[in-house]
Amino acid sequence: MPEEELCVTGMADLDNLLGGGIPVGSTVLVVGSSGSGKTTLCMQYLVNGAQQGERGVFFTITEPLFKLTKNMEGFSFYDKKLIESGMVNLIDLRIISERLGLDTEKYSVEDAAALLDVLKDIADELNVKRLAIDSITALCYRLQSKEMIRDFIFKLGSSLAAMNCTTFLTSEVPPRKFQYSQHGIEEFISDGIIFLGDIERKGDLIRTFQLIKMRGMAHSRTKSAMIISSNNGIELAPLLKS
Amino acid sequence: MVNTLIDGLKERISKAITINQSVGIMLPSKNYSDLTQALLEYICSRTEDAWVYVTITKPYDNLIKQFGDLSGLENIKFIDCISRAAGISNTNPNCVFIESPTMLENLGLEIINVFKNVDDDTNKYLILDSLSTLVIYNDLEIVTEFFYHLANRTRARNIHSVSLMIEEEGVDSQLNKLIYLNDKILKVRDSFI
Ligand SMILES: Nc1ncnc2c1ncn2[C@@H]1O[C@H](COP(=O)(O)OP(=O)(O)OP(=O)(O)O)[C@@H](O)[C@H]1O
Ligand SMILES: [Mg+2]
Repeated sequence: MPEEELCVTGMADLDNLLGGGIPVGSTVLVVGSSGSGKTTLCMQYLVNGAQQGERGVFFTITEPLFKLTKNMEGFSFYDKKLIESGMVNLIDLRIISERLGLDTEKYSVEDAAALLDVLKDIADELNVKRLAIDSITALCYRLQSKEMIRDFIFKLGSSLAAMNCTTFLTSEVPPRKFQYSQHGIEEFISDGIIFLGDIERKGDLIRTFQLIKMRGMAHSRTKSAMIISSNNGIELAPLLKS
Repeated sequence: MVNTLIDGLKERISKAITINQSVGIMLPSKNYSDLTQALLEYICSRTEDAWVYVTITKPYDNLIKQFGDLSGLENIKFIDCISRAAGISNTNPNCVFIESPTMLENLGLEIINVFKNVDDDTNKYLILDSLSTLVIYNDLEIVTEFFYHLANRTRARNIHSVSLMIEEEGVDSQLNKLIYLNDKILKVRDSFI
């Protein structure tokens, strides 16, 4: 097997399931319903990277920055110094599209191209190795056709891959449905899919984590239990089968 | 009389857990508070060891109220599986609160996490209070699976464990099978002590 360079997420349990890490330059779709932990997973991924000296950028569309930071401050892993030092950059995509003078509801083909250029420029200028868009669902919603969505994610993914940047895109889906995206396209253009779900046990919801695909890796596909805690952020444990 | 009972229990517990990796204690519910008192007094005297006390029976606050000197001890950490489910939202640096006793994976993870902070040379002990209450909140099959996993993980990390099982009249014999997964069983009977 050829030695492929891996992006170590720094979440030990996840890296174990992956077989070391994510092939550098991959685009990974982080799928889950509301409250499943998509934002937390992305942030922990960026923070861990920053601690290993890899610069990251987090583009938010669904949550304004002040809310995002307030939520993340509840986690021990969230180190404000990394934000201040610019190792993790938080950017509100809505503000960028406003500045570009884009229609907030619908992007034309030109708008989409302009936005793509800005994203690439930011990634390039900051020399980022890790990037997250939260959520790609909200972004795709502004693109008007399947072709535009496909084109956008494909171009974004290939430019970032060329920069050796490994990307997480969050995808919002309805709860307890086996569906990876709203538009049915995102998963096919992504190199990897992480599915955050839940199972009901005696009326309580147990969070679950499953690696659906990761191109280029012989990874585990078992469903794990996922635990979110302020001390450790996201952790995984073998899911009890009974 | 109660004191001799407690002293007798302490001695039996002490012997059993130093020799065996995992000990199950079966006791009638009327002896429950004597046993927990004996256990906690024993822990208090073993300041050089690291203890994790998992409570599924009583909220952490109640345990502390009952045995006031526990909160100041460095060598014992608690994991409370029932306060949150009961709507008690206190926090305490000595205690990890699990949302619900059904979150068995979370419980297993936190047990190992607490012991991660203990150095290799320290003796490590885990108390599960109790297996019978876990079975109230969960199906027996999943508790059995949980207990197997836990036994493997504690064994691998050289953590000794003590699991309590409160016997009720006419109890399901399946439940007893669970406690027999331990290396050594202590049966608490007034006549034994
Ligand atoms: N400090 C914390 N400690 C433990 N759990 C937390 C903490 N903060 C948030 N959580 C849990 O994490 C969940 C939210 O995670 P997150 O915001 O990452 O989800 P999400 O998938 O991005 O949701 P949405 O689709 O609504 O954006 C919360 O619902 C909460 O249960
Ligand atoms: Mg979110």
